[in-house]
Amino acid sequence: MAYPTATFDVIGLWIGWLLMLMIYSLPLYKENVSYRLAEYLFIGVTLAITLITNFSNVMSMAVDPLMGGDILMIIPIILGLMMFTMLIPDYRWVSRYPVALLVGAGFGLGIRGTIKPNLQDAIISTITPPAGGGALEWFNFAYIAIGLICSIMYFLLTIEHSGPLKAPTRIGRLFIMVGLGAYFGNTVLFRFTMLTGRAQFFLQVLKIIPM
Amino acid sequence: MSVFTKLTNIDRRVFYWILFIALMVPFLSPIGFPITIAENTQDLYDGITGDEVEAGEVWIVNFGYGVSAWSECHPSTTACTKALFREDAKIIIMGTHYDVELTYNKLLDTVSEDFAGKVYGEDYVFLGYITGGESAAAQLASSIRSVYPEDHFGTSLDDIPMMDGIDSVHEIDGVLSSDTGDWGGHFMTQWQSAYGTKLAEIGIAMNASTDLPRWIAGNFFGVSVGSRGGAELEILVGELGEATTAMDSISVSHLLMVFAILLANIGVLYDKYAGGNN
Repeated sequence: MAYPTATFDVIGLWIGWLLMLMIYSLPLYKENVSYRLAEYLFIGVTLAITLITNFSNVMSMAVDPLMGGDILMIIPIILGLMMFTMLIPDYRWVSRYPVALLVGAGFGLGIRGTIKPNLQDAIISTITPPAGGGALEWFNFAYIAIGLICSIMYFLLTIEHSGPLKAPTRIGRLFIMVGLGAYFGNTVLFRFTMLTGRAQFFLQVLKIIPM
Repeated sequence: MSVFTKLTNIDRRVFYWILFIALMVPFLSPIGFPITIAENTQDLYDGITGDEVEAGEVWIVNFGYGVSAWSECHPSTTACTKALFREDAKIIIMGTHYDVELTYNKLLDTVSEDFAGKVYGEDYVFLGYITGGESAAAQLASSIRSVYPEDHFGTSLDDIPMMDGIDSVHEIDGVLSSDTGDWGGHFMTQWQSAYGTKLAEIGIAMNASTDLPRWIAGNFFGVSVGSRGGAELEILVGELGEATTAMDSISVSHLLMVFAILLANIGVLYDKYAGGNN
């Protein structure tokens, strides 16, 4: 990717660079007008793009086919319009029907595909011992097995966590904490990667490093 | 007040400044941290190259990430697109993030050499954005035309030679879902699990704890995790790019984070056991 040469592209690049600095002025300095300006601009532009994109989507997927004679497309359009009754307190109940349909369809689709990959496959892969693996594979197998059983036991909420359940539920809690910690760590590092991208962009716009 | 206590009370802005500046240094003076290939990335690469892909196969590449996640997802997507084109596969590009057009244009730019010998409509097609989550994934499996009557540029799919005879999951040989959300999960439940479609995930580091168990369970034939996965794929494809360049900077940010955590914990422990002020 080369540094743009067209005037509008260059202007766009510098506007992006400036807006980035305005946003970063919050963590690097403090709350200020330039940050607020960039924040509101970002929200406004994002909302506008989302609206236009989704409007175009509805037009091409439902309205255009309806105009072309696909009369069944009137059903999703009506259901979609019924959603907007949420904005009118007296008729809000009407919106429950499309919402119920959406939830039902989503639930049905989810159940159809979820049981095998998210339960069956996951359980099988967890309880299948490593075939001819080394010590590390066996350690991992045992670690995951113990972690899984103890973590599930932690959620046995109908039985008091005492006696024989005390030790495994405490171990389960530790495993859950480690799991959440790893998830949080990955989240933080993902944000850092995004920051790395911005640091690179910062230098590229200034032509300090190639684009 | 001990030095440790002072360090734990540093204004967070100081850390942000150090971080921002430290991230730039490796771009100016690359360090060259070694990059090893993870098994999940190798599996992904093996699944889209060699005997696993025949010329003429049709693959879907899903852009489920926006501009903000380019640094995480785009290097892997770029490397995979290169690999698939080199196997003479045909690619359907679709997007589940509203700024997909920007990402598509970037792909054209970053894979320009590989796209040069390819013809739009015969070797690849860009369908554009869809919304709808799992329901859309399920409908896409039944009929691509019902979700995408036309491509992103307004051409009816019936007028696109590459799409001739292709309308459902049964005509698709594999899916690469690159996303910041759970579109990989939607393809898994509605395509891989239901029809046995080959599926791989190019995910962000944040989703590694979700994606890797699915790879271990065999639902994904491979997984690329964040920029690191991108750098590994760039090595496998044989063309170093953005992710490899950024890896030093990312490693520095991780080291700084570890250093900050250690410092904060030493400070807390010092205050607790060595008679600090707090």
